[in-house]
Amino acid sequence: MLLFRSEEHIDRWCEKRGLQRGAILSPATALRLGAIWYADKQSPDWRRKTVDEAQAVFAKLGLVGDFWRLRQ
Amino acid sequence: MTSESLDRDVRLFILQHFVESARPPTPQETGEALHLTLKESAAAYDRLASDHVLVLAPGTHEIRMANPLSAVQTTFPVHIGGKRFYGNCIWDALGAVAMLGGSGTIDSRCACCDEALTLEIDNLELRAVEAVVHFAVPAAHWWDDIVYT
Repeated sequence: MLLFRSEEHIDRWCEKRGLQRGAILSPATALRLGAIWYADKQSPDWRRKTVDEAQAVFAKLGLVGDFWRLRQ
Repeated sequence: MTSESLDRDVRLFILQHFVESARPPTPQETGEALHLTLKESAAAYDRLASDHVLVLAPGTHEIRMANPLSAVQTTFPVHIGGKRFYGNCIWDALGAVAMLGGSGTIDSRCACCDEALTLEIDNLELRAVEAVVHFAVPAAHWWDDIVYT
Protein backbone atom coordinates (compact mmCIF):
# COMPACT_ATOMS: atom_id res chain seq x y z
CA MET A 1 0.00 0.00 0.00
CA LEU A 2 1.79 3.07 -1.28
CA LEU A 3 1.32 6.81 -1.29
CA PHE A 4 1.25 8.87 -4.49
CA ARG A 5 0.99 12.53 -5.40
CA SER A 6 -2.01 11.89 -7.70
CA GLU A 7 -3.93 9.24 -9.62
CA GLU A 8 -1.84 10.15 -12.68
CA HIS A 9 1.27 9.12 -10.74
CA ILE A 10 -0.41 5.84 -9.80
CA ASP A 11 -1.11 5.11 -13.46
CA ARG A 12 2.48 5.98 -14.41
CA TRP A 13 3.83 3.71 -11.66
CA CYS A 14 1.51 0.84 -12.71
CA GLU A 15 2.41 1.25 -16.39
CA LYS A 16 6.14 1.00 -15.64
CA ARG A 17 5.52 -2.32 -13.88
CA GLY A 18 2.93 -3.71 -16.27
CA LEU A 19 0.33 -3.71 -13.50
CA GLN A 20 -3.36 -2.95 -13.57
CA ARG A 21 -4.50 -0.11 -11.36
CA GLY A 22 -5.66 -1.56 -8.02
CA ALA A 23 -7.81 0.30 -5.50
CA ILE A 24 -7.46 3.98 -4.65
CA LEU A 25 -8.31 5.53 -1.29
CA SER A 26 -8.10 9.06 0.00
CA PRO A 27 -5.56 9.46 2.82
CA ALA A 28 -8.50 10.30 5.12
CA THR A 29 -10.17 6.94 4.38
CA ALA A 30 -6.84 5.15 4.82
CA LEU A 31 -6.49 6.86 8.20
CA ARG A 32 -9.94 5.65 9.23
CA LEU A 33 -9.00 2.15 8.10
CA GLY A 34 -5.72 2.34 10.02
CA ALA A 35 -7.47 3.58 13.14
CA ILE A 36 -10.11 0.85 13.07
CA TRP A 37 -7.45 -1.76 12.41
CA TYR A 38 -4.77 -0.76 14.87
CA ALA A 39 -6.00 1.71 17.53
CA ASP A 40 -6.53 -1.11 20.05
CA LYS A 41 -3.52 -3.22 19.07
CA GLN A 42 -1.84 -2.59 22.43
CA SER A 43 -4.91 -3.64 24.39
CA PRO A 44 -4.78 -7.00 26.21
CA ASP A 45 -8.19 -7.74 24.71
CA TRP A 46 -7.09 -7.21 21.12
CA ARG A 47 -7.56 -10.17 18.80
CA ARG A 48 -7.16 -10.56 15.10
CA LYS A 49 -10.32 -9.77 13.18
CA THR A 50 -12.19 -12.66 11.65
CA VAL A 51 -12.70 -12.58 7.90
CA ASP A 52 -16.33 -11.52 8.41
CA GLU A 53 -15.32 -8.73 10.81
CA ALA A 54 -12.63 -7.49 8.43
CA GLN A 55 -15.09 -7.58 5.54
CA ALA A 56 -17.56 -5.55 7.63
CA VAL A 57 -14.88 -2.92 8.29
CA PHE A 58 -14.21 -2.59 4.56
CA ALA A 59 -17.93 -2.30 3.84
CA LYS A 60 -18.34 0.38 6.52
CA LEU A 61 -15.70 2.44 4.72
CA GLY A 62 -17.26 1.83 1.30
CA LEU A 63 -14.51 -0.60 0.29
CA VAL A 64 -16.64 -3.09 -1.60
CA GLY A 65 -16.37 -5.15 -4.77
CA ASP A 66 -14.11 -7.98 -5.92
CA PHE A 67 -10.89 -6.18 -4.96
CA TRP A 68 -11.92 -6.05 -1.30
CA ARG A 69 -13.36 -9.55 -1.08
CA LEU A 70 -11.32 -11.61 1.40
CA ARG A 71 -12.87 -14.95 0.42
CA GLN A 72 -12.38 -15.84 -3.20
CA MET B 1 -0.53 -20.52 31.67
CA THR B 2 -2.33 -21.40 28.43
CA SER B 3 -0.59 -20.81 25.14
CA GLU B 4 -3.34 -18.25 24.39
CA SER B 5 -2.54 -16.10 27.44
CA LEU B 6 1.20 -16.62 26.92
CA ASP B 7 0.88 -15.44 23.32
CA ARG B 8 -1.11 -12.41 24.49
CA ASP B 9 1.63 -11.50 26.98
CA VAL B 10 4.33 -11.99 24.35
CA ARG B 11 2.41 -9.86 21.84
CA LEU B 12 1.96 -7.07 24.38
CA PHE B 13 5.61 -7.20 25.44
CA ILE B 14 6.80 -7.08 21.83
CA LEU B 15 4.72 -3.99 21.09
CA GLN B 16 5.65 -2.30 24.37
CA HIS B 17 9.34 -2.95 23.72
CA PHE B 18 9.01 -1.81 20.12
CA VAL B 19 7.32 1.43 21.15
CA GLU B 20 9.83 2.14 23.93
CA SER B 21 12.98 1.17 22.03
CA ALA B 22 11.90 1.66 18.39
CA ARG B 23 13.01 -1.92 17.71
CA PRO B 24 11.38 -5.28 18.43
CA PRO B 25 12.79 -7.58 21.12
CA THR B 26 14.62 -10.80 20.39
CA PRO B 27 13.07 -14.02 21.73
CA GLN B 28 15.79 -14.00 24.37
CA GLU B 29 14.82 -10.50 25.56
CA THR B 30 11.16 -11.48 25.59
CA GLY B 31 11.94 -14.67 27.48
CA GLU B 32 13.96 -12.82 30.10
CA ALA B 33 11.24 -10.22 30.60
CA LEU B 34 8.42 -12.75 30.87
CA HIS B 35 10.35 -15.53 32.66
CA LEU B 36 10.13 -17.92 29.73
CA THR B 37 12.73 -20.27 28.36
CA LEU B 38 14.14 -19.35 24.98
CA LYS B 39 12.29 -22.34 23.54
CA GLU B 40 8.96 -21.14 24.96
CA SER B 41 9.55 -17.60 23.76
CA ALA B 42 10.55 -18.72 20.27
CA ALA B 43 7.53 -21.04 20.08
CA ALA B 44 5.26 -18.08 20.93
CA TYR B 45 6.90 -16.06 18.12
CA ASP B 46 6.19 -18.95 15.75
CA ARG B 47 2.53 -19.15 16.78
CA LEU B 48 2.08 -15.37 16.46
CA ALA B 49 3.68 -15.48 13.02
CA SER B 50 1.45 -18.37 12.02
CA ASP B 51 -1.57 -16.28 13.13
CA HIS B 52 -0.31 -13.30 11.05
CA VAL B 53 0.25 -11.19 14.16
CA LEU B 54 4.00 -11.02 13.46
CA VAL B 55 6.12 -11.44 10.37
CA LEU B 56 9.51 -13.06 10.98
CA ALA B 57 12.54 -12.86 8.70
CA PRO B 58 12.57 -16.19 6.79
CA GLY B 59 14.11 -19.05 8.75
CA THR B 60 14.69 -16.94 11.88
CA HIS B 61 12.93 -15.60 14.97
CA GLU B 62 13.89 -12.06 14.03
CA ILE B 63 10.80 -9.88 13.87
CA ARG B 64 10.41 -8.12 10.52
CA MET B 65 6.96 -6.72 11.22
CA ALA B 66 4.87 -6.36 14.34
CA ASN B 67 2.10 -4.61 12.49
CA PRO B 68 1.70 -1.74 12.22
CA LEU B 69 5.40 -1.28 13.01
CA SER B 70 8.29 -2.31 10.78
CA ALA B 71 11.66 -3.39 12.14
CA VAL B 72 13.39 -2.19 8.98
CA GLN B 73 13.48 1.27 7.48
CA THR B 74 10.73 1.95 4.98
CA THR B 75 9.51 4.99 3.07
CA PHE B 76 6.87 5.47 5.80
CA PRO B 77 8.67 7.03 8.77
CA VAL B 78 6.30 8.04 11.52
CA HIS B 79 7.26 10.76 14.00
CA ILE B 80 5.43 10.71 17.31
CA GLY B 81 6.45 12.43 20.52
CA GLY B 82 10.08 12.84 19.53
CA LYS B 83 10.42 9.19 18.45
CA ARG B 84 10.65 7.77 14.96
CA PHE B 85 9.02 4.52 13.92
CA TYR B 86 8.49 2.96 10.51
CA GLY B 87 5.19 1.72 9.13
CA ASN B 88 5.22 -1.32 6.84
CA CYS B 89 3.08 0.58 4.34
CA ILE B 90 1.02 3.75 4.33
CA TRP B 91 -1.94 1.93 5.92
CA ASP B 92 0.30 0.75 8.75
CA ALA B 93 1.98 4.14 9.14
CA LEU B 94 -1.45 5.72 9.61
CA GLY B 95 -2.39 2.83 11.90
CA ALA B 96 0.77 3.41 13.96
CA VAL B 97 -0.30 7.01 14.56
CA ALA B 98 -3.72 5.74 15.66
CA MET B 99 -2.18 3.11 17.94
CA LEU B 100 0.18 5.61 19.53
CA GLY B 101 -2.24 8.31 20.56
CA GLY B 102 -3.72 9.64 17.33
CA SER B 103 -1.30 12.47 16.57
CA GLY B 104 1.92 12.37 14.54
CA THR B 105 3.62 13.09 11.25
CA ILE B 106 4.39 10.70 8.40
CA ASP B 107 7.26 11.87 6.19
CA SER B 108 6.64 9.77 3.11
CA ARG B 109 7.32 10.15 -0.59
CA CYS B 110 5.40 9.65 -3.82
CA ALA B 111 6.16 6.08 -4.90
CA CYS B 112 6.27 7.28 -8.52
CA CYS B 113 8.30 10.49 -8.53
CA ASP B 114 9.87 10.39 -5.04
CA GLU B 115 8.53 13.83 -4.20
CA ALA B 116 8.17 14.36 -0.45
CA LEU B 117 4.63 13.88 0.86
CA THR B 118 4.01 14.72 4.49
CA LEU B 119 0.87 13.65 6.29
CA GLU B 120 0.13 15.47 9.52
CA ILE B 121 -2.43 13.93 11.85
CA ASP B 122 -3.81 15.68 14.91
CA ASN B 123 -6.20 13.71 17.13
CA LEU B 124 -7.02 11.41 14.21
CA GLU B 125 -7.77 14.38 11.96
CA LEU B 126 -5.68 14.56 8.83
CA ARG B 127 -4.54 17.98 7.67
CA ALA B 128 -5.41 18.61 4.03
CA VAL B 129 -2.89 17.03 1.69
CA GLU B 130 -2.75 16.40 -2.04
CA ALA B 131 -2.11 12.66 -2.16
CA VAL B 132 -3.79 9.32 -2.83
CA VAL B 133 -3.28 5.81 -1.47
CA HIS B 134 -3.00 2.88 -3.84
CA PHE B 135 -3.57 -0.77 -2.96
CA ALA B 136 -1.99 -2.83 -5.74
CA VAL B 137 -2.84 -6.30 -4.40
CA PRO B 138 -6.45 -7.50 -3.96
CA ALA B 139 -7.41 -8.18 -0.33
CA ALA B 140 -7.66 -11.96 -0.76
CA HIS B 141 -3.96 -12.05 -1.70
CA TRP B 142 -2.40 -9.71 0.85
CA TRP B 143 -0.81 -12.54 2.80
CA ASP B 144 0.48 -14.38 -0.28
CA ASP B 145 3.57 -12.15 0.03
CA ILE B 146 3.01 -9.68 2.85
CA VAL B 147 6.34 -7.92 2.38
CA TYR B 148 5.43 -7.08 -1.24
CA THR B 149 1.85 -6.17 -0.24
